[in-house]
Amino acid sequence: MRMYAAAVCLFLLAPLIITVVLSFTAGDTLAFPPKAFSGRWFAEALRNTSFTAGFRVSLLIAAGVALISAVAGTATAVALNHYRVTYSGPVRAFVMLPLALPGIVLGLGILFVLRDYGMAPGLWATMLGHSVIGIPYVTYMVLASFSNYDMALEQASLNLGESRAGTFFRITLPLIAPGIVGGAAVAFIMSFDNFSLSLFITKSDTLPLRLMQHVQGYLDPAVAAVATMLVALSLVVAFALSRLARGGAQLRIGA
Amino acid sequence: MTTASKFGVGDKWRTQVSFWCWMIPALAILLPMFVAPLARLARNSFNQDDPVGMMRPTWVLDNYVTALTDPFYSAVFGNTLMVAGGVAAFCVLTAYPFAYFLVGFAGRSRKILLWCVYMPLFVSVIMRVFGWMVFIADTGIVNRLLIGTGLVDSPLHLMYEVPGMLLGIVHRYLPLAILPMINAMSKIDPLVLRASGNLGESGVGTFARVVIPLSLPGALAGFQLVLAGVLSDFVIPILMGSTKFRMLAPVVYEEALTNASWALSAALAMVMLAIVAVILVGTNLLVRYLSPWVRA
Repeated sequence: MRMYAAAVCLFLLAPLIITVVLSFTAGDTLAFPPKAFSGRWFAEALRNTSFTAGFRVSLLIAAGVALISAVAGTATAVALNHYRVTYSGPVRAFVMLPLALPGIVLGLGILFVLRDYGMAPGLWATMLGHSVIGIPYVTYMVLASFSNYDMALEQASLNLGESRAGTFFRITLPLIAPGIVGGAAVAFIMSFDNFSLSLFITKSDTLPLRLMQHVQGYLDPAVAAVATMLVALSLVVAFALSRLARGGAQLRIGA
Repeated sequence: MTTASKFGVGDKWRTQVSFWCWMIPALAILLPMFVAPLARLARNSFNQDDPVGMMRPTWVLDNYVTALTDPFYSAVFGNTLMVAGGVAAFCVLTAYPFAYFLVGFAGRSRKILLWCVYMPLFVSVIMRVFGWMVFIADTGIVNRLLIGTGLVDSPLHLMYEVPGMLLGIVHRYLPLAILPMINAMSKIDPLVLRASGNLGESGVGTFARVVIPLSLPGALAGFQLVLAGVLSDFVIPILMGSTKFRMLAPVVYEEALTNASWALSAALAMVMLAIVAVILVGTNLLVRYLSPWVRA
């Protein structure tokens, strides 16, 4: 049994380990194991303007998507949680629907519709398009946060004379912050790594698309270097976020 | 949850207004970027593709007829459904023992195992494809091992062929099958398992007659996710697949952006949507039928 689990783990991790090791190769090809090690492919990747530009574009779009999704998703979660209407169920299903949709169906549809709106494929179109998928994620996570939430705290705040807006910003938001941040993080990652939508509504200038074109054209370890750097970056960010989350939990215990 | 609306229970009109006010940000994005595109897609699928590349606005069923009867597209649909179904079944079967082990046995190593499952999801698809390329290319690790030990004479063509593509697809979607199953299995009360043992059932018997039925919703959820995912996967068929075995997503992309057959690609997309919808609704009904104790 244990062997089986280990085998599955190995299967899941093998390509990742290979890629990371290869990113340190000194050679020109993908020969594995590398005979010599160097950091030259990292320098090569950082020098590649299509990669660095792609990274900037992807970062910008993902940040925008995280922001838009966080705002819209949180508002939706508040609507669904605080105001129980008979049609809450269908509305919630509707908001979650984009997650079930094939990305390219949505991408093709948005491409058609962009012309009607007088928009061209690019930054704004992509930000809005990715947000369609980001919003369900944030809504889901904030609703999960709400399940541990005591409405009585809000009523207490109102009874003590705080305005509704004040209650929202000083009581509600801090308590659901972990859900919002978690959801925004998922939306960010999803947008950064997105292919299906980006294929149609970007100018092919996001990092994943650039990497894909590179892999199709040349097969050199530069892609491995970029991938390794991205993993390192996301590990750092994940670590930082978990630190923040721990701080938030302490806030709850104190309250 | 004790109270409903914080602004009074009987305040029906005000509740509804507040609800929709809070929904405005999401609707401002979803209506133009989700509902409208789907509507436009549906509308375009009834247009006529002009040989020059434009679309003539009419109401014809030609595109659907082509999509459903033309042997090329039937082959593409068939390929994709076969691969999706096969991969989904394989992933769920593979995930079952793994999830059972993780939930039932592993205490300390549990975190490591979970990490192994989450890590690939964290990482860009390109990185995974790249790693597999190194592994299964004609001059890659697997082939060099096989040739070196004399098991085969010439390299096994895995990359840019169906086996390689299947490998990549399974690798990408296996975590998606494992996670819901872990979720479902961790909800099984261990006392139930012990009760089964006390009543005289063997370990294997307990697994078959208690664990499997109770974890079925998780298994079906995983099956659903993988099936829908593989059906609409673009990256892996493009990067690791063969041009002789075409999958749905690259074909739709090609029709739209290379051939500029807007109406046909819209029809293909609508058919794809219908298939995914049938799969999702079908598996949900199946869950409700097989495991009626699951809250919808």
